[in-house]
Amino acid sequence: MIEEFISTYGEYLFWTLLHIFVILGVLLVSVAYLTYFERKVMAAMQRRHGPMTVGPFGLLQPLADGLKLLTKETILPTKANKPVFIIAPMLTFFLAIVAWAVIPVDENWVLANINVGILYLFAISSLGVYGIIMAGWASNSRYAFLGGLRSASQMVSYEVSMGLVIVTVLLCVGSLNLQEVVMAERSFLMNILLFPMMIVFLISILAETNRAPFDLPEGESELTGGFMVEYSAMTFALFFLGEYANMILMSAMTVILFMGGWLAPFGISGEWIDWVPGIVWFALKVSAVLFFFIWARASFPRYRYDQLMRLGWKVFLPFTLVWVLVVSGALIATNSLP
Amino acid sequence: MSDSFLIEYLPILIFFVIAGGAAIAAVAMSYMVGQQNPDPEKNSQYECGFEAFAESRSKFDVKFYLVAILFIIFDLEIAFLFPWAIVLGDIGMFGFWSMVLFLGILTVGFVYEWKKGALDWE
Amino acid sequence: MLYGIAFYLFAMVLVGSAIAVITAKNPVHSVLFLILAFFNAAGLMVLLGAEFIAMLLVIVYVGAVAVLFLFVVMMMDVSFADLRSGAMKYVPIGVVVGGVLLFELVIIYSGWKFSDAMELANPNDISLTNTEALGHILYTKYFFIFQMSGLVLLVAMIGAIVLTLRKRSGVKRQKIYEQVNRKASDVIEIHKVTPGTGV
Repeated sequence: MIEEFISTYGEYLFWTLLHIFVILGVLLVSVAYLTYFERKVMAAMQRRHGPMTVGPFGLLQPLADGLKLLTKETILPTKANKPVFIIAPMLTFFLAIVAWAVIPVDENWVLANINVGILYLFAISSLGVYGIIMAGWASNSRYAFLGGLRSASQMVSYEVSMGLVIVTVLLCVGSLNLQEVVMAERSFLMNILLFPMMIVFLISILAETNRAPFDLPEGESELTGGFMVEYSAMTFALFFLGEYANMILMSAMTVILFMGGWLAPFGISGEWIDWVPGIVWFALKVSAVLFFFIWARASFPRYRYDQLMRLGWKVFLPFTLVWVLVVSGALIATNSLP
Repeated sequence: MSDSFLIEYLPILIFFVIAGGAAIAAVAMSYMVGQQNPDPEKNSQYECGFEAFAESRSKFDVKFYLVAILFIIFDLEIAFLFPWAIVLGDIGMFGFWSMVLFLGILTVGFVYEWKKGALDWE
Repeated sequence: MLYGIAFYLFAMVLVGSAIAVITAKNPVHSVLFLILAFFNAAGLMVLLGAEFIAMLLVIVYVGAVAVLFLFVVMMMDVSFADLRSGAMKYVPIGVVVGGVLLFELVIIYSGWKFSDAMELANPNDISLTNTEALGHILYTKYFFIFQMSGLVLLVAMIGAIVLTLRKRSGVKRQKIYEQVNRKASDVIEIHKVTPGTGV
């Protein structure tokens, strides 16, 4: 029975597991060095050195941070609802990771090439709100509760405009499969029409991942850390990993939707450039979007909550809604629908 | 029925199991490696040095509730837009105007909530 | 075989979490189990080949409706023991509602079983993904039903606002248009003040 199982599924299982562990490994290393990258870039923008003592150029700093968090005490507040309290960070981490199953990093280089890839990503990112809301409620602390509540409202508000932006991209590519989204031929008109949507999307993902200038749920100066206030050690680290993995995920989504995924930028081709593997382009583009995340954090002051809601509901929502009709109308008029 | 696309979902299921396992393993490992030394003050809820005055899960502004309802409605609207966006080339002008009417109906609601001030925060 | 394992896994977790929804002491736990139930239902939908519906189930029910449920349950500032004490008097109405639902399910099932509706439910062209198959008929063939759902959403939107919107008085709001349009000449007056007389 077992031998039969191995002979039929063994090879498949081996490659799938290998693929999964490669994704996990690369993702965790990327997250670790994203924190290093963030600190170095912020330091450079503020004329400081950033981490520089642990290892050459401070390169081992993320490792040291990880080890420190691992060996700290896991605090379980007495008044907290313990099962939910522990599940919340796990859920955040889990969701930030499983979304990577459908991200194509190169042609045919994807774990699960499903027909509804975009919807899967949209679904997983819409679940992200639970980790935060559960943490806020289970901590039974006023700061955490307020942080969780704010964060939930913020994330759902910006999800609406993200969804509408995705619809405009779908109009141009005519498929929900992520590989086909990348490979679809885009005319000049489509690129012009999608450019404002890219800006909206970039701003929305800042809000969706609770990054500055929309980092109100954490708001150190008023909420002392928001929903994470009661967490320590690995439970805190999982929130942290989840947030950064989510940043990379959202950057990857931007790259796939608007920047041509693993294809060379601006459609350049030729002998001198074609040898570069697609995954290199993909990684470079994702890094560029991540740089934008950090740049925004170093440049802008935090929004006020009413301003944040106004931007989401009164600016982005009507704008993207109208733009869906503009894009579809323009594509019908020029007869260039896919 | 063709099952060929189902096989694409299998890696996702396996990924779910492994990612869940990784999350549990991380917390469990930290719990074992780190020194656990709880005491009542450390485990009390975080406040500015005093005992909490009241239950922290208090009533909150009904505004948050309204945002959640409006979100459901717009989420459904987007759900209707997804299939429309990918088949628009096949269903032609009728499909286009059908969606324009649908969005028009919802825009009436949107204008109403805007004028009523449901989108204002204080 | 894998199909069978997956089916029983999803089905068992679904039924288990559905039972937990009604037996959990804490309503927040109930909602969390409800989310688990939705999630497994989405898994079953995938097994049936309805990928699009499965994703929508997660996006709409888990991502939006259950968030609202959580808000409501978290917002209820009542002791849960009080809430449970009177639960028995709702049993008759619960039985009636459950009975009606069961009756309807039986009718639908028998309609499927003993008529040719089963074949109609399959898309004509198997090469289409089910999102495309849905898109081809939803906006044209089922035009009126589609518009009706738009009207239902409109009613829901207006209803929600009428029921929940309360204006609080005495709060300062930001009026961007007015603030930007302020000119120095409108708000500043220059008086010449001679010493000893005041303004």
